[in-house]
Amino acid sequence: MAPKRRHLLALLMVLGLVTAAACGSDDGGGVSGGYSIGLVTDTGKVDDKSFNQSAWEGAQQGAADIPASATASYIETEESKDYANNIQLFLDDGAKVIVTVGFGLGEATIEAAKANPDVMFIGVDQWQDDALPNLAGLMFPEATAGFMAGALAGMLTETDIVGAVLGTDLVPPVVFFKEGWENGARYTNPDVQTISTYHPGGLDVAFGDPEWGATTARQALDQGADIIFGAGGATGNGALIEVAGEAGALCVGVDSDQWFTVPEAHPCLVTSAMKLIDVGVAELIGQAYAGTMQGGNFFGEVGLAPFHDFDGIVTDEMRATLDDVMAGLADGSINPMPE
Amino acid sequence: MTTRQKQMLYVGATLIVVIAWTFYTADGPQTTAVLAGTVRAATLLVLGAMCGMIGERSGVVNIGIEGQFLLSAFAAFTIASMTGSLFLGTVAGVGMGLIMGWMLAAMAVGLKVDQIIAGTVLNIAALGLTSFFYDRSRSLGMGKYTNIDLGPLADIPLVGTVFFSRPPLTYLTMVLLVVVHVALFRSVWGMRTRAIGEHPGAADTVGIDVLKLRYFNVTIAGGLAGLGGSYLALEAVGTFSRAMSGGRGFLALAVMIFGRRTPFGAYAAALFFGFTTALQNQFQLNSTFDIPPQFVGMLPFVVTIIVVALSGLIGSMRDPAALGQVYEKG
Repeated sequence: MAPKRRHLLALLMVLGLVTAAACGSDDGGGVSGGYSIGLVTDTGKVDDKSFNQSAWEGAQQGAADIPASATASYIETEESKDYANNIQLFLDDGAKVIVTVGFGLGEATIEAAKANPDVMFIGVDQWQDDALPNLAGLMFPEATAGFMAGALAGMLTETDIVGAVLGTDLVPPVVFFKEGWENGARYTNPDVQTISTYHPGGLDVAFGDPEWGATTARQALDQGADIIFGAGGATGNGALIEVAGEAGALCVGVDSDQWFTVPEAHPCLVTSAMKLIDVGVAELIGQAYAGTMQGGNFFGEVGLAPFHDFDGIVTDEMRATLDDVMAGLADGSINPMPE
Repeated sequence: MTTRQKQMLYVGATLIVVIAWTFYTADGPQTTAVLAGTVRAATLLVLGAMCGMIGERSGVVNIGIEGQFLLSAFAAFTIASMTGSLFLGTVAGVGMGLIMGWMLAAMAVGLKVDQIIAGTVLNIAALGLTSFFYDRSRSLGMGKYTNIDLGPLADIPLVGTVFFSRPPLTYLTMVLLVVVHVALFRSVWGMRTRAIGEHPGAADTVGIDVLKLRYFNVTIAGGLAGLGGSYLALEAVGTFSRAMSGGRGFLALAVMIFGRRTPFGAYAAALFFGFTTALQNQFQLNSTFDIPPQFVGMLPFVVTIIVVALSGLIGSMRDPAALGQVYEKG
């Protein structure tokens, strides 16, 4: 190979590496001036069409809502060992509020909150055993959301088999979704058979493996499931898209209204079991700014997404039952997750 | 293959058929679902394994398969969503695989970079580039590849559903298995390829251009990984998401070694890996055993370690002699 071409090639390789390095810690914009809000994602991405994205939208909303000029920026965590470093980056930059997204960041967030009492922390999906004054854990009753979706599925299924393709049982909210979903389906349809699967991998891959999600959804469809709950980031999205290819089968999304985030699932997506993460994050940011944020756990809202194209198949009778279920869940007469 | 090995193969195959049929008569839908899931999970692995195999048979280690999958999946998805044509997307994926293969060849063969480092560069570059350029507003409006029934073959119970009611790239992969097998072991090209992997010096003295053939082989092999990427984005999943290859490029290397660098061996190994995934899913779907899913998920890797270690001890598995070595024309 001629020396010139060799140089060109070497240059190309270096370029590739630089691009890769630049994305290693994807910084969504500098923190400078005004009231700054930093968001650290879990190993997912801010455009994961799921909970990281929801939280990021909430942070942007929160920044827009407060009266002072405020900026929101994010860092995407590539590997779980970087949690503490990424939080520290925002601390060094003088962030006033730091949002950490996901169960996995819980410990790192508590450490950082203890070391920096002047900075407000919001931990999404992080249960607080001991309340710290500057750390609010934004929690959601996932079992309740799962129960609502399951109750609908129990009424909609014709084969009396409902399936769930889930992230990992290492993350408690996923387990709550599953248990709620199964109990909800049994509540409206005592004959229902529930078949559910967790991803077999660890935290690093369980939410980013759409091929496994799709293959597993197909396996559930092949043995008679006609409505499938996909709960687990990109893994669940893979399941939704697989169900979309099966005529007559329905699917249920998770976390946000996935009608808008996974358009490929339109042929099957009847609803989504939503955690209103964006609303919760924005509200807590407002409280942090006003100085009214309480430490400990803050419970956000959950609900079912609109039925969109499937509005016609949900009968008035089903809607009435759903209303009863929601009322029962709200007043505590229905326990979505009895031991 | 010795007569004894052949006998063992026949016994094993017969056993598998008998066991599958027994389960099928016991519970048809579940058995079909598990075996269909097996074939499905094996397709990507065997494409990656064939890519690795052609490289290694020529003496070039390719640990960049993961990156080749990912960037090809990205190219396939992007072109398919822009043009609305799955076929064009597939072509783009294969094309991207060829480019990645050429880049590996340029580094490992042309510039004589350490082959492991060259492969790592591909992996890192693919992750960075796809993460940076991924546009989440894109989607495949027309859906992904759907199953095609192969006429009356698809009506055979069990076997029909599992093998003859598949989407197009899966059929293509099965055809490629035969093509690569014949090419590697029954053609002049295959003989030369194996020669430059075993003893490049000797091959050179009989007039084979070692560097040129390695260049060509590693590039062509990239096309197979590119097809794998297209399969991942357009047939298995139907969208792109970051880091979606999820380590399967590395798994493909294990499959390749397990399958003794032969296409059919690799397919058997890939089916085994796919089977454990499908089986552990089925355990959960049935709530048969209350064992953690991660435990069964771990089994194929444990088996691979045992098989590789055992065959290393017995000495029945041997790497190509010139594997990983830079060839300098003497």
